[in-house]
Amino acid sequence: MNALAREWRLLQRDRGALFWAAVALVASVFAVCMGAIESQRQLSEIEALKVADEHDRNATLARQSDWGSAGYYAFHLTYAEPAAASFLTQGKRDSYPWKHRIRILAMEGQIYEADVSSPTISAMGRFDMAFVASVLLPLLVIVLLYDLRSGEADSGRLELLEASAGGSGFWRTRVLLRAALLTLAVVVPVLAGAWWVGADSRSTIAAAALIVAHAAFWSVLALVIGAWRVATPVLLASLLGLWLLFAIVIPQLGTIAIDRSIPVPALSQIALEQREAVNDAWDLPKPVTMDAFVARYPEWKAHAAIDGTFEWKWYYAFQQVGDQTVEPLSSAYREGLIKRERYLDRFSWFSPPMLVSRQLMRLSQTDLRSMLAYDEDVRAFHKRLREFHYSKLFLDEPFSLEAAQALPPFPGKPGG
Amino acid sequence: MNTLTETVERQATMSRSLELQDLCVDRGGHRVLDSVSFAVEAGQIYALLGGNGAGKSTTLLAALGFLPIARGSLLVNGQEAGTGSVSIRKMVAYLPEAVSLYPHLTARENLGYFLSLAKTQSTPKDIEEALDQVALDFQARDRRLESYSKGMRQKVAIALALLRRAEILLLDEPTSGLDPVAIDELHALVRKLAGEGKTILMVTHDVYGACQVADRIGLLHRGRLVGQFAAEPGERISTEAVHQAFAEQESR
Repeated sequence: MNALAREWRLLQRDRGALFWAAVALVASVFAVCMGAIESQRQLSEIEALKVADEHDRNATLARQSDWGSAGYYAFHLTYAEPAAASFLTQGKRDSYPWKHRIRILAMEGQIYEADVSSPTISAMGRFDMAFVASVLLPLLVIVLLYDLRSGEADSGRLELLEASAGGSGFWRTRVLLRAALLTLAVVVPVLAGAWWVGADSRSTIAAAALIVAHAAFWSVLALVIGAWRVATPVLLASLLGLWLLFAIVIPQLGTIAIDRSIPVPALSQIALEQREAVNDAWDLPKPVTMDAFVARYPEWKAHAAIDGTFEWKWYYAFQQVGDQTVEPLSSAYREGLIKRERYLDRFSWFSPPMLVSRQLMRLSQTDLRSMLAYDEDVRAFHKRLREFHYSKLFLDEPFSLEAAQALPPFPGKPGG
Repeated sequence: MNTLTETVERQATMSRSLELQDLCVDRGGHRVLDSVSFAVEAGQIYALLGGNGAGKSTTLLAALGFLPIARGSLLVNGQEAGTGSVSIRKMVAYLPEAVSLYPHLTARENLGYFLSLAKTQSTPKDIEEALDQVALDFQARDRRLESYSKGMRQKVAIALALLRRAEILLLDEPTSGLDPVAIDELHALVRKLAGEGKTILMVTHDVYGACQVADRIGLLHRGRLVGQFAAEPGERISTEAVHQAFAEQESR
C-alpha cells in the first residue's frame, strides 16, 4: 500500500474531515448555482427590457412631430449583459448600475444614477464563489488542518506514529490529501458551473488555478504553524488570527488608506455642477452657449444662429455644454477610480484572500474596470444619439418615423 | 590483534540490545536524566521503577531518538541513538501508556495502517496470527477500537510490535488502568515475548507488577539510577526489597 492509498483509507474513515469537505462542496454548489441563477435573471431582465424599451420608444416617437420632442421624450435602453463567467461573482454589479435608460439630455447626471437592486446585498456582498474561495475556503482549510499534528499528540498517538513512520514525511501526504479533497470540493462545482453556463476555458482554468493556489497557501501555512509544539487551542487561535489579518484587516485598512490617499470627486458634486450649468444656461445670452457648443462641434457653426426665444438645438446645446462643464470632474472621478484600482491591484498581493476575490471579479468581468468600460459604452452611445439628433436639428429636417428607424442601436455586449 | 578479553567484551556488547552509558538528557533547560547507566540483553525484561517525574518516560523517548542526548551514549543493538535515528526506530516498537490507535478503525485496519506506515510487509494471515498470539477475541477484530477496553487496545499494540518484527519493545506503564486479569494476561504475554528473544524495557511505578515479570529492575529517582535488582535463576525479584528501596527513595 503506498502512502497516498494508506492516508486515503484513513481519511475515508475520518467523519470530521468528510463533514468539512461536504460543507465545502455544498457551499461551492450553492454559490455556483446562485451565481448562475442571478446571471440568468439579469439576462432575462435585459431581454424583457429590450422588448419593453423598443415598444415604449416606438409609442413615444409615434406621438412626436419634431426631432426636438423626439429626443426629449424618447428613452434608450443601455445595458451590460453579464459575462458567462459572472456566475463566479457578481462583484461590482451589485453596487454599480448595469442598465440605464438614457435620453439625449445632459449625460453625466444620468450615468451616475444608481439602479442597485438591493442595498443590503450591496453592503454585505453575496454568497458567491468570490466569498467561498477567498473567505470560506481558508477557514475550512484551517478547520481541517490546524490540529493534524497536535490532535495526534493530544490523543497520544504522535510518538507511535512517528516511531512507526521513522520520519515525518507522512504529515505532508496527510496535508496534501486533505487539502486536495477540500479544494476539489470547491473546484469541481466551479468546473461544472462553467460547463453549464458555457464560460470560456481560459477564465475557467484561471479561476480553478486561483482557488487551488489559495488553498495551497493556507495549507502550507497550516502545515508550518501546525508543526509548532504548542497547545492545540494556541494553533487554532494563531491560524484564525492570520485569517482575520489577511481576509479582513489588511483589505479593509488597505482600501481605506488608498481611498484616502487618492481622493475622487463626489458623484453628487458632478451631478450638481452639471445641473447648475444647465439651469444657468437659461439665463445666459444664447450666443454664449452656442459659441461653447460650436467650439466642440465646429461643423454646425453655419447653423448655430438662434432666432426665436426657444429652439431645440439651443436647448440641446446647453445640455451638451452642461456635460462639457463637468468633464474635468467626471474624468477626474474615473481616473481616480482607475488609479485606486491600480494601487489595490498591487496592494492585494499582501492579502491572498483579497487577491483571489479581485482576480475572480476580473475573470467574471464584474470588476470596477468592467463597470467603467460599460459607462464608457453608454457615453459613446449617447454621443452617437446626440450627433444623430444634431444632424436633424441643425439642418431643420422634418421628423418622420421612417427616419427615426435609423436611430443608432445600443451595441450590447457582455461585461460590466 | 584483538585480545581474548576484547573479543569477549565485544560479544558481550553485541548481545546487549539496549545499553545506556552515563546518559544525560536535558528538557526545558533542566537535566531530567543524569548519568544513567544500565544494559538490557536480548531475551531480558528490564523494568525501570520510579515515581512521577523520575525520568522513566524520558528514557523511552531518548531510546526512540525523540530527545537529544546531552552526554553519554544510548546504544540500540550497537547503534548510537540520536534525534531522528530512523534505522533505530525500525528496530524498536513503542507502546505508550495510553495506547491510542485510531478509535474509528478496527483492529485489523489499525494494524494495516501502522504496518504500512512502518513500511513492513505483512499479509492478512500474518495479521491474524499476530492477533492470535496476543489472544485478541476473534469476534472483536472487526469492531472499531472505540469499543475496546484498554487491555484489548494493549493487545492490538503488542500485535503491531510483533508484526513489525521489532527486536526491542519499549513499554510505557503497560499495566496502568488494567484489571487484574488483564494484567496477568499482559505479564504472560511479555514473558512469552522475552522467551522468544525480544528485548523488553518497561517503565512502571507498579512495584509488585515489576517484580512479577522483570528479570532486572532499575530504580530511578529524580533522573538518577539509584539501585538495581536482578532475579536469581528460576526465581523472581523480592518484592519486599524493591518496595523498601522504592519507599526510601520516594520519602527523601
